[in-house]
Amino acid sequence: MSVDKKKLEEGLKKYQNQQKKLSLKYALLSAAGILGFLLIWQAVVKMGLVNEARLPTPVTILETLIYKVSNESPDGSVLMVNILASLQVALTGFLSAIVIGIPLGLFMGWWEYADRFIRPIFELIRPIPPIAWIPLVVVWMGIGLQAKALIIFFTAFVPCVINAYTGIKLTNKTLINVSKTFGASNFEIFYKVGIPSSLPMVFAGIRVALGNSWSTLVAAEMLAASAGLGYMIQIGRTVARPDIVIVGMVVIGAIGAILSGLLSLCERRLLKWKVNR
Amino acid sequence: MEQQQMTKKMEVKGISKTFYNKNSYFTAIENVSFDVKDGEFLVILGPGRCGKTVLLNIIAGLEEKTEGAVIYNGKEISGVNPEVGMVFQKLALMPFKTVLQNVELGMKFRGVPKAERHEVARRYIDLVGLKGFENSYPTQLSGGMKQRVGIARAYANDPKVLIMDEPFGQLDAQTRYSMQNEILRIWEQEKRTVVFVTNNIEEACYLGDRIILLSDCPAKVKEIYNIEIPRPRNMVSKEFMDLRAKISDNTDLAI
Amino acid sequence: MGSKQKERVHAILYWGLPVLAVILIVVAWVLFSAQHPELMPDPVSVWKRLIKTFVKPIGNTNLFGHAWASLSRVLLALLIAWAFGIFFGILIGWNRTARAIFGSIFEVIRPIPPIAWIPIMIMWFGIGELPKILLVFIGTFVPLVINTSAGISMVDKINISVGKVFGGSNMQILKDIVIPTALPSIFAGIRTSVSSGWTTVLAAEMLAAQRGLGSLVTKGWQGSDMALVLVAVITIAIIGSLLSFLLNKLEKVVCPWNSNK
Repeated sequence: MSVDKKKLEEGLKKYQNQQKKLSLKYALLSAAGILGFLLIWQAVVKMGLVNEARLPTPVTILETLIYKVSNESPDGSVLMVNILASLQVALTGFLSAIVIGIPLGLFMGWWEYADRFIRPIFELIRPIPPIAWIPLVVVWMGIGLQAKALIIFFTAFVPCVINAYTGIKLTNKTLINVSKTFGASNFEIFYKVGIPSSLPMVFAGIRVALGNSWSTLVAAEMLAASAGLGYMIQIGRTVARPDIVIVGMVVIGAIGAILSGLLSLCERRLLKWKVNR
Repeated sequence: MEQQQMTKKMEVKGISKTFYNKNSYFTAIENVSFDVKDGEFLVILGPGRCGKTVLLNIIAGLEEKTEGAVIYNGKEISGVNPEVGMVFQKLALMPFKTVLQNVELGMKFRGVPKAERHEVARRYIDLVGLKGFENSYPTQLSGGMKQRVGIARAYANDPKVLIMDEPFGQLDAQTRYSMQNEILRIWEQEKRTVVFVTNNIEEACYLGDRIILLSDCPAKVKEIYNIEIPRPRNMVSKEFMDLRAKISDNTDLAI
Repeated sequence: MGSKQKERVHAILYWGLPVLAVILIVVAWVLFSAQHPELMPDPVSVWKRLIKTFVKPIGNTNLFGHAWASLSRVLLALLIAWAFGIFFGILIGWNRTARAIFGSIFEVIRPIPPIAWIPIMIMWFGIGELPKILLVFIGTFVPLVINTSAGISMVDKINISVGKVFGGSNMQILKDIVIPTALPSIFAGIRTSVSSGWTTVLAAEMLAAQRGLGSLVTKGWQGSDMALVLVAVITIAIIGSLLSFLLNKLEKVVCPWNSNK
């Protein structure tokens, strides 16, 4: 090798240092962005530009958050109970949508007659915004877990079906033909070729479904519930406690972000063959 | 054609390029030097996937070099060289622009008035044989036609040196032959310096005044061939076959 | 002969199945409503209720008026969101420093569902038009920014190289190459923003409004007038479908090069 090995090693070191500096710079900028936002917020309230009774400071919100961890007032449950109640509703609806919606979509995408039969029903349900289901479902089933889970189900169901359907429709025709020449039956091809190649789309659908579930949950709980984060927000509003409302919003946002992070983790595990992108 | 005393247009001096990754490095180009003479058709022939595009990007000023210098008209160049035009391997036509708008792109950036822009663009669209397709979108064209748009786009920007990065790599054999003749016709008509990269020996022998043969990774200059065969060249003549065999024997096998 | 018969069976199934599905739905609806009229009104009474919304207006306006009330809120909010969202999306998609500073704030606010903003909006601004439009704005702004910035930052590097080789300045490259390349994903953002806006406005109206389709749902619900609820829900669904149909048409006009793939 004519190029000096030592020089290359030095170059690598230099490069690594540069990268480190860059990522540090952007991390600092991000932190500065959020910190600046909070500081301005705090300052604006403290300087009296906004009434503190309407917009609590970030510090107050943090105090309320800590307070809610162990106190039941004003909505009747500690924070963890509310979180669990919400999670239970959201996950029940979400998981049943996955269990029913994805096979249904795959099925419709693979067998034409299933498509012809199910599609009209599906197309009738699809354009109804999930929130519009709330009154119907509440009248039918009350405000229990099942009712709320059913509302969530509707929001999560649609993207699951659509993406599973599209995903399996996009299966590479060459792969199908190859399998046929190897003598695989239609069901075998469906199972071994169709389903795996539809997975990326299916995951995209699950992601949308998760987002929908979590945001509709709040609506369902605000309209009809006796515990949960949405309920807590609603009570916070009726007793004029903006800090409670904002704590609720922050917790909802945080849990939503955590759920979506967990989903990404699963996706990366399951779709290892797709990393070359 | 006699090898006249051509003036040096460009000098590539001791270029090396090493890519760094998180924990590793990879040298793509090592100490590559050659001259580009004014008005010549220079072919850079390299096997495999190593270094060629990177080398072109460095010459055009799109990529930083680890070592070495690119000297243009006697001056060292850093950053994008405005007198260099480029035809891209992956076409890189703008799907949202019509053929005419694609060809006009460089002139638009330079602020050439619309009427003049249209006129020049139409002239080059004619030159590459795409008259009548001015208002088509690239998706409506075949592979060969798309690459013609890429060539017209590069010429319309009036470059002094035109770099072509495996422009025919994705075409089928028939189209490729006709495009090779086409590019020679345009080159003879326009008389601009061309630096043409390919991995196809036959194409290199057919097109080049000179061939710079690169080695496999990391790319180094292995040999420089002056081709004295008069044009138009016959791909099955003895001298052509001999040259081809000579270069072929000297080429690293690419996986 | 055999293949001809097969074809006939295929044709019967192909056209028969969807018809059968629709018939089944209608039959199920009629049967269910006959047994539990308090849970589900039958199709005829829904139709009658629909006529009544024109004869005897609710809140001084007929069904069209309510639909327009909802639509105009969405449209106003969408226009504002498009202007700000696309600009902001381009900014954080194109400039890494801007992304570090403002993107982080956006990432913190983004996971809060628009509906969760409703109570605080009502606390701050009451139940007038402003909080509703703000809500729809939040619901539409987020998908726009996400799609726009993703579209901008994913533009193929070679397209930017083309811009540089042809002597474009940064602004020229952004305007002539990057933004048009990202247009399909910006459009995807617009599409999401419309459906999200339509959902959010309903939620806002269901909680507090005098006019709008969402308020009809609440009115019907509170007055045990299920037929009115259904009339409103069906109208909502039809308008939602119409909006997405219009967007499909619009996309073909805005991105003609994308149409024949």
